[in-house]
Amino acid sequence: MTRNPMRTVSVRNLQAHKVRLLLTVVSVLLGTAFVAGSFIFTDTLSHSFTKIFDNADKGIDARVQAQKSYQPGVALSVVDRIKTVPGVRVVQPVADQPIVLIDKFGKKVQTGGAPSQAGIWTSPRDSVRPADGFVSGHAPVAPGDVVINNAAAEKAHLTTGDHTKVILPNAGALNVTISGVYRISTETGGYIGVLFSEPRALQLLTDGTHLSAVDIAGDGTVSEKALAARIAAVVPSDLKVQTGDQVRKDDQSSIRTALSFVTIFLLAFGVIALIVGTFIIYNTFSMIVAQRLRELALLRAIGADRKQVRRSVVLEAGIIGAIGSVLGLAGGVGLAYGLHALLDALKLGLPSGGLILSVRTVVVAILLGTGVTLLSAYAPARRAAKIPPVAAMREEFSSPGVATLRRRTALGLVVTALGALATLAGALSSSGGGGATLIGLGLLGVAAGVMLLSPLLAQWVITPLGKLIGRPFGTVGELARTNAVRNPRRTAATSFALTLGLLLVSGVAVIGASMKSSIGALFDNNVTADYILTTSVDVGVPIGAGAAAARSPGVATLTQLHDLPVQLDGTRTQHGTAVDGPLKPVFRVRVVRGTGQPAIGAMIVSVKTSERPGWGMGTTHALSTHNGVTVSEKVAGVYENNNLLGPWLVTGDVYRTLVPRNEWSDIVGLVKASPGMSLPTLRHNLEKATDPYYIVNVQNRDEFKGSLASQVNGLLGLLYGLLGLAIVIAILGIVNTLALSVVERRREIGMLRAVGMQRKQVRRTIYVESLLIAVFGAVLGLILGLSYGSLFTRTLHGQGLDKLSVPFGQAAAFLVVAGVVGVLAALWPGVRAARTPPLEAISSS
Amino acid sequence: MAACTRARHAVAMTEVHTLPPDVTSIVAARAAAVTKLYGSGDTAVRALDQVSVELVRGEFTAIMGPSGSGKSTLMHCLAGLDTVTSGNVYIGDVDLSGLSDKKMTALRRDRIGFVFQSFNLVPTLTALENITLPIAIAGRAPQQPWLDIVIDTLGLRDRLGHRPSELSGGQQQRVAVGRALASRPEIIFGDEPTGNLDSRSSGEVMGILRRSVDDLGQTVVIVTHDARAASYSDRVLFLADGRIVDELRGPTADAVLDRMKNLEG
Repeated sequence: MTRNPMRTVSVRNLQAHKVRLLLTVVSVLLGTAFVAGSFIFTDTLSHSFTKIFDNADKGIDARVQAQKSYQPGVALSVVDRIKTVPGVRVVQPVADQPIVLIDKFGKKVQTGGAPSQAGIWTSPRDSVRPADGFVSGHAPVAPGDVVINNAAAEKAHLTTGDHTKVILPNAGALNVTISGVYRISTETGGYIGVLFSEPRALQLLTDGTHLSAVDIAGDGTVSEKALAARIAAVVPSDLKVQTGDQVRKDDQSSIRTALSFVTIFLLAFGVIALIVGTFIIYNTFSMIVAQRLRELALLRAIGADRKQVRRSVVLEAGIIGAIGSVLGLAGGVGLAYGLHALLDALKLGLPSGGLILSVRTVVVAILLGTGVTLLSAYAPARRAAKIPPVAAMREEFSSPGVATLRRRTALGLVVTALGALATLAGALSSSGGGGATLIGLGLLGVAAGVMLLSPLLAQWVITPLGKLIGRPFGTVGELARTNAVRNPRRTAATSFALTLGLLLVSGVAVIGASMKSSIGALFDNNVTADYILTTSVDVGVPIGAGAAAARSPGVATLTQLHDLPVQLDGTRTQHGTAVDGPLKPVFRVRVVRGTGQPAIGAMIVSVKTSERPGWGMGTTHALSTHNGVTVSEKVAGVYENNNLLGPWLVTGDVYRTLVPRNEWSDIVGLVKASPGMSLPTLRHNLEKATDPYYIVNVQNRDEFKGSLASQVNGLLGLLYGLLGLAIVIAILGIVNTLALSVVERRREIGMLRAVGMQRKQVRRTIYVESLLIAVFGAVLGLILGLSYGSLFTRTLHGQGLDKLSVPFGQAAAFLVVAGVVGVLAALWPGVRAARTPPLEAISSS
Repeated sequence: MAACTRARHAVAMTEVHTLPPDVTSIVAARAAAVTKLYGSGDTAVRALDQVSVELVRGEFTAIMGPSGSGKSTLMHCLAGLDTVTSGNVYIGDVDLSGLSDKKMTALRRDRIGFVFQSFNLVPTLTALENITLPIAIAGRAPQQPWLDIVIDTLGLRDRLGHRPSELSGGQQQRVAVGRALASRPEIIFGDEPTGNLDSRSSGEVMGILRRSVDDLGQTVVIVTHDARAASYSDRVLFLADGRIVDELRGPTADAVLDRMKNLEG
């Protein structure tokens, strides 16, 4: 006590109020944990991927590949030339294609997100990287031989000598024999590698004349740079020559780019959690200051100056912030671990490896957690410093002045108005992206404005709401209602955490529902097929499967669509669609001019495409792809813009001319039944025909729409789960506020008990109060969320979100959940309040 | 009023602390050999030591004594706010020692009124709502004629719509007295009801309590430090070291001060 009395007071205060300390610490903890968790998770992934790529890139001194993706790869003749360059020890051919491995039981092996690739087996002597070696068996020799990695073998329950099948989209199902199982030195999650002998691989995976790349190892006589320069001198200029270091650097940066989305996504939730936490911390400190008013005034009366009082509150915040951040960091490790385990359980094929806790994570988490706590506590600390010493002698204290609320309200009105203006400008703007940005800014303004206005709104909303909800509870309801608006600032800050949570959840719900109904509508308005053939893996529908299905009894027409990336008129690259079979029976093409079906030499384009300069009816365009072939197509028809058909359509012959055989596949096959054909029988026939291809799904219209919707649902589920965190923090905030108000009102509750209020009634008062606060917050959040969700959807009209669908049922469910959550949050404070002995009414402090 | 006068006569006749069973009906509250210990073992403090006392209907009793004499504890035990270590407390004929919290609460609500030192009004309710609060908690409607009598006794008719923060200390305490009277309890307990008031407001509040005894037939028990407040009562009980050591009837402020001096001296 001698050296720093104020510090002693702060520390003792924390020790004396452990529950209050705990609740505040938890709110700091949750926000920090999310920030730390997202860092740790992505650091870990990045580290694992880096290790995988480092291993894959080991020994590479140079790599040669095409400059642009639509160009042909490295011609075999060029490979021979590279081999003669002095200083080259070995040139390893690279050709990758997606492949599906069939396991011992005849089922396809799922990899989740990890790649499943076919490649070329090269002997250790011909490989740039040191050999990984065989677990069992030997290199592929016969055309039917493959070797697979040990993880894949385990997953597929296959061993050396087993016969199985693999599916290549361009070749269909192939019978293969596992000649060996090779080892990969780094654990790569769900990665599947199926390697063929070089001659067979060239046949299956390439156009027969080009490799996608070659990796080169030097003999050690020259530097990487010199070697690359020598190679560059002998290869055509449309090929890119990189040193091994450049290759590794490129891979590193592509890992970072790929993971940056994950980092940003997770960090966004961390920030939301911290913002919601800010309200709770602010509230807690405001209440702590209010409760310690007399104590702080006493300190002032005996000579502590304002600075000392302010510092003592700030010091408390600092301690809470530091404890919360350190625990949050630990929570972050747990979160990252849990997330990793969850994704593993979902078989998303993530690489495994120890969690990476970097110095940056520790520093950021602790600075952020402590900083946010200090910031949130600063205003209450200032208020504490303003307490006049005479307050120690006064019996009752007046609540915060109306004047300050008036200033806050005025500011709130201005901010809300600015936000509304930005929103209006965004809604009226014609450009989708710019409009959405303006609406986003508007939402920020309106949310901030509503936060400032919410003490006033609380009074306006809770009074009628309380009369309605509280009526069945009689006096208890009335007490609850008046308690809920007793301190409007506190109610506002408590409920705003829930407002934010529900704003996000209901906004996402609107966008999600609109997405689902837009997809459904898009499908219903355009597709008239009876059955749809797709695959559930990352590979297109095998080329033979369509042909087999087309031959099934009961199929009137089968239309196959192919994705066709080309270079248009030698300038820009664009993906279009190639069609085999008649469009009309399976697709509603709304023809504006000319024909609705592409023919040889006659492409059809969307209205949008036709509006580009030089793209009118009758114009001719050059389509070229990476094997150097060019096709001329004349615009013979214009159709209404359609997200399913894309910017232009050509015939399947163009596809087969432009795309090398080894890359052929269908996106989808659309089946129209013959008149009078029973659909279940047709399905049976289709399933039988496509069964040998393993990966083909036969879906009717509803199933197909369902599978599209379930993709949206999966995404929504993830978002809801993450946003649920904001709501958990909001609940903690309600618990915190109620627990502190119960302490604050101890004397009053004691009096109520003394004059005859039953424990049950005391509890109920707290429950109803909490219910009102929660419903108030939820209503604000829902109004904002539904409005802005709708506005965003409307702005994104024309980018696939054509149909606005507001899930009112879901919104009502959210409201009910918020109410239930409110009551649950009040359980513990309610029980505590009910335990207040009546004598509290009499005790002097 | 006749019954209440009779009751006061009955009290006047009995100077002893116990009554024969046939007259318990005129006793509003009674303590029988009540002992209250705080803490346990060596550190136990004996706040009340075998105290027996009857509080008779229609009488105004003041309990006095030096700090730590046990006067507040006695009142808390009589009022069912605190439990006794041994002995029995009766409100009317009901023995409090066996009551569940629920029954005890209902008893406090329906048969006991309280006036606290620090008013203890609900700040969010108006004066009238505070007055009718115990009735509302019980889920009953106030009896308007009685309520009118109470409000007129308090002299607060023009203040009924005000919140506690808009009332002076004396007015707040009058509201608190009104809250105690509104449900027509059998007995009203006051814990230093004038402790936070200036002398003028004290006089007003004590006057109202006196009138509630004289005109409305209430039974009132207060704990007080203030000899002037005690002088409004019919009977003053003096406590010291957890025992009733003296009693004074028809007290004047000076007589009370004399006795207190003896106790403290």
